Amino acid sequence: MPVFKLSLKIFRKNWVAVSIYIFIFLGIAIAISANSVPEKSIGFSQEKAKVALISEEKTPLTDGFQKELSKSAVLIKLPDQTEKLQDALFFRKVTYILRIPKGFTQSVLSGGSMQMKKTVVPNSVDNAYVDLSVDQYWNLARIYAKHEPGISQQQLVNQLKTNLSGSTPVTIKAHEQAKTANSFSMYYFNFLAYTLSAALIMGVSTLMVVMNKRDIKRRNFCSPLRASSINGQLILANLLFALSAWAILILFCFILDSKSFGTQNMVYFLINSLLFTGSMTSLSYLIGNLMKNLNAMSAVCNVLTLGPCFISGVFVPQEFLNDTVLKIASFTPTYWYVQANTRIAKLTQFGWPELSPIIQSMALLLAFGAAFITVSLVVGKRKNLMNE
Amino acid sequence: MIIHVKNLVKRYGDLVALDHLSLDIKEGEIFGLLGPNGSGKSTAINCILSLLNYDKGDVEIFGKKMTPDAYDLKRDIGIVMQNVAVFDELTVYENIDYFCGLYVRDRAERKRLVEEAVAFVELDQFRKFYPKKLSGGLLRRLNIACGIAHKPKLIILDEPTVAVDPQSRNKILEGIERLNAQGATIVYTSHYMEEVEQICSRIVIMDKGRIIASGTQEELKAMITLGEKITVEAFSIEEEQLHQLRELTGIVSVDHMDNRLVIKSDKGNNNLETVLEFLKSHQIGFGRIYSEMPTLNDVFLEITGKQLRD
Ligand SMILES: Nc1ncnc2c1ncn2[C@@H]1O[C@H](COP(=O)(O)OP(=O)(O)OP(=O)(O)O)[C@@H](O)[C@H]1O
Ligand SMILES: [Mg+2]
Repeated sequence: MPVFKLSLKIFRKNWVAVSIYIFIFLGIAIAISANSVPEKSIGFSQEKAKVALISEEKTPLTDGFQKELSKSAVLIKLPDQTEKLQDALFFRKVTYILRIPKGFTQSVLSGGSMQMKKTVVPNSVDNAYVDLSVDQYWNLARIYAKHEPGISQQQLVNQLKTNLSGSTPVTIKAHEQAKTANSFSMYYFNFLAYTLSAALIMGVSTLMVVMNKRDIKRRNFCSPLRASSINGQLILANLLFALSAWAILILFCFILDSKSFGTQNMVYFLINSLLFTGSMTSLSYLIGNLMKNLNAMSAVCNVLTLGPCFISGVFVPQEFLNDTVLKIASFTPTYWYVQANTRIAKLTQFGWPELSPIIQSMALLLAFGAAFITVSLVVGKRKNLMNE
Repeated sequence: MIIHVKNLVKRYGDLVALDHLSLDIKEGEIFGLLGPNGSGKSTAINCILSLLNYDKGDVEIFGKKMTPDAYDLKRDIGIVMQNVAVFDELTVYENIDYFCGLYVRDRAERKRLVEEAVAFVELDQFRKFYPKKLSGGLLRRLNIACGIAHKPKLIILDEPTVAVDPQSRNKILEGIERLNAQGATIVYTSHYMEEVEQICSRIVIMDKGRIIASGTQEELKAMITLGEKITVEAFSIEEEQLHQLRELTGIVSVDHMDNRLVIKSDKGNNNLETVLEFLKSHQIGFGRIYSEMPTLNDVFLEITGKQLRD
């Protein structure tokens, strides 16, 4: 297989250009891994806000509320004097003062609209949790009161307690994070879009441009090797190159973040990146068939890798890009690759509803690949050597 | 017949690059295709090899019709293109090995052939060089090695010696004669008549896509009326004497410029003696004297009215 062997030699000659991209990429990847290892999501300890609860009435329901609130906040006892309360806020002895007005319990039970009064230190994150617990308790109380008329206050308190105590399975899921969400692997696979495109264009397109030079093509055509055999060997060499580039980059990911390789998410990362490799290989093949010489190679490579990567959310997450940009980006395989990646990273369940948008993106990657190959064939037919 | 071409017509738009070209190349000969730039030599070669579509005509090689997928015919053909076709990414040795590998599978056999080709073009000390590092002449030699390494039965060389220095050129020409002696039929195109005269056993002269003359060297020269050309260093000669000289039988033209007397004569006569006698009897002092037989350039000049080389 002389043409196959020749191709490998040409790849080897190109190795420096390709490896520059890979090493820049690895540098970036390692820099990210140093910064982005998520600390918070591992130890999940909640900061508790300091709350002064002043109740103008004492009912079983308000007692129950006080107990419930004490789980998510530190309750501070303060005398009910305006001046003292304001001082406490000012000196941050408390960040949240909640006042239950007289008749509030009755209002809740009868479906009235009486509100509690709250005074807060502005911009305190912890207060958000307090708001959440307060709303949760009283809204639930209102719902029970409405749907079970005649329920006693004590019964209601017990109901609420069981309902709010511990965490129901539903709330667990809402808070569970996939191991790969925001992980090194997610960033790595997103950036992979850039490096893989660059490596493939530098490798595959360069080979095709070299082999398509008119005099070389004529010279090969003089040999007893069939045209189909020459093309077959070229395609084989290109596929081998693409797979090796992919495998090397995945190997680096394994070295840098082997933990992620135990997850089911990784399987989908791998499939997705492999499909992306396929579509970029056929794009590179097309470019190689369109370009006349190697002078513009690195310029073309930069435009075709950096461009789609910027607008598809490789460097900046897609949610920060505007809709027009994303619309344009959706005409590139990179967009669908990144989209699938981001979704895969967050997967905690692997049922059809979660997977179907991912599979859709993957199918589009395949479609892109097929389209590029088809165009290459059409272009090749048009450019018949014998008419030049 | 190794190559049989009949009524080949190739047009580029309005330009007729080959105008009913017919050639017959016999086994064992060194066939020269001579013509000035743009006369259609490369076009003819490309059409013969099915590298170009042509409008009309038949091409047979080794007695079989040549088509783009006549792979069994291609196996026995070696081609050295006018444009150097080598890979910048491969060394001299690797290049020859690649092109030889298109024909020869066996490794040991190929190694032997490649070594022979390297020696043939004398690129031994450059075998690890990349083509970008070779001079124009060395690159040409690499191009030749790539075309002939597999020892084909038919070798076609399209102006292989452009930019090659005279010593190397002579080596290459000798090499081609050696390949021919080993049994290869050679087709050699050039616009250097000296080369063609030196090695070719049969010559076709082309101009504007047409064959204007063909035959052996002697046959071609016999076609023209011109005989030898005599040049004499003569410092003083009178107009009257020049006139008398022109009147002599067998003399076609006489010019005197820059102390040089150029006398062209008919074929066949012993004109040198006549001229010498005339100079002596008129007591005209003269220095060196040369006599040249007509060249292919003179043939071309006489047929087309223009020089072969611009
Ligand atoms: N691709 C082309 N398109 C149009 N015209 C062409 C093309 N190739 C060659 N020609 C024309 O065909 C004629 C013959 O060209 P060709 O290259 O065969 O000449 P040649 O005898 O090989 O000349 P040279 O000694 O310069 O190599 C020229 O007039 C040239 O301009
Ligand atoms: Mg030519």
